[in-house]
Amino acid sequence: MIKISGVSKWYGSFQVLTECSTEVAKGEVVVVCGPSGSGKSTLIKCVNGLEPFQAGDIAVDGISVGDPKTDLPKLRARIGMVFQNFELFPHMTVTQNLTLAQIKVLGRSRDEALAKGLALLDRVGLKAHADKFPGNLSGGQQQRVAIARALCMDPIAMLFDEPTSALDPEMINEVLDVMVQLAQEGMTMMVVTHEMGFARRVADRVIFMDGGRIVEDALKEEFFGTPRSERAQLFLSKILGH
Amino acid sequence: MFANFDFDVIERSWRYLFVTGMAFTLRLTLFAMAGGIVFGTLLAMMRLSSIKPLAWVAGTYVNTLRSVPLVLVIFWFYFLVPYIGAWVLRSDTPIQVGAFASSLLTFVMFEACYYCEIMRAGIQSIPRGQVSAGYALGLTYWQSMALVVLPQAFRNMLPVLLTQTIVLFQDVSLVYVLSITDFVGAASKVAERDGRLVEMYSFVAVIYFAACFALSQFVRRLQARIAVVR
Repeated sequence: MIKISGVSKWYGSFQVLTECSTEVAKGEVVVVCGPSGSGKSTLIKCVNGLEPFQAGDIAVDGISVGDPKTDLPKLRARIGMVFQNFELFPHMTVTQNLTLAQIKVLGRSRDEALAKGLALLDRVGLKAHADKFPGNLSGGQQQRVAIARALCMDPIAMLFDEPTSALDPEMINEVLDVMVQLAQEGMTMMVVTHEMGFARRVADRVIFMDGGRIVEDALKEEFFGTPRSERAQLFLSKILGH
Repeated sequence: MFANFDFDVIERSWRYLFVTGMAFTLRLTLFAMAGGIVFGTLLAMMRLSSIKPLAWVAGTYVNTLRSVPLVLVIFWFYFLVPYIGAWVLRSDTPIQVGAFASSLLTFVMFEACYYCEIMRAGIQSIPRGQVSAGYALGLTYWQSMALVVLPQAFRNMLPVLLTQTIVLFQDVSLVYVLSITDFVGAASKVAERDGRLVEMYSFVAVIYFAACFALSQFVRRLQARIAVVR
């Protein structure tokens, strides 16, 4: 579904990604972890072309992201993305947030978009908040709306960029629950997160990044059991040690 | 002190001052504001564009026009536009451009530079993630600008845009150098005809002050009301 091959990226002369290669199969859940500054967010943003890269290629559903001839907006419409800071549109109500791209990008009718939006809003447990503005919702609620907004587009895969990092601890679970449910339904997911509990529960594979490189790319059991690289062992002992 | 003053001149001429003069001033202000904001927003988008030549052209345009006194620009345009128009239309004789059209064009081009800088700040005040979120949903550049970025930028910048419009309202009085009958032009005609310069110009000043003061109070209230909840 997502095939990343030899991707390198530079900011000026500083190399942020070095020869990253991996694959996410249909229905697979891959968790990307690593210390901050390791390039994991940059990598996931390369997958839908939000960040350009200078070498290598990424193909989503067989369509090249790096190819200048690719219709990026069209491709992005098929890939859902959830951001660290939610990024709901603050000047629109929840309903408007949910229907905007359905109407403008997919060309659905207003009624159809609204029905879809409300159904997904119900699924993330926020039906009562349809007419509120994002600013009147808690962080956890905003992130659940953001997930519903991405799902409205019937994505073939979902990208999560640290979806719980900006949340208060007591709100993290309500968001993770939605993500777990999504994973169990068979959604293809690539998730950048520090939530190792989530990784243990639903991930098929775990990718560990450091210094812009993919240091470890292993099945979940292997990764948590006996990580091959010393760097990953150290990382795991630090975040699982308390 | 006012013994020698004759304020009756105002009573005799107010209808002319407002119906002819002020009407022109307001019309020019509103049209120039609308045109200036539209053109200024386009300039701002160009200045922030990743396409370097576009950014350079807009930057040079804005910086050049902001470095020239408005009066000069008004003169230039008034005298040059007929010739430029003739050149563009390949006509042998200078084209006829009315005083209103000429001054409107001047103000749109000139004020756009200031509106541009305001909108540039407005666009930059929107977090980068908002644009990313728009793109991630499949919106194009123009869609994410029109639906996500600009509505928020306008909202954030509305008080500053209106304040600039108050400045524009005052600047419009400069068309007086083209002998156009705006509010000041009308007043000066009456003043010279009746030899009542001090009375008329005092009256004009009071009206300008009252209008601008009221507007700026309105802007202050608006500012408190529209702060976006994030």
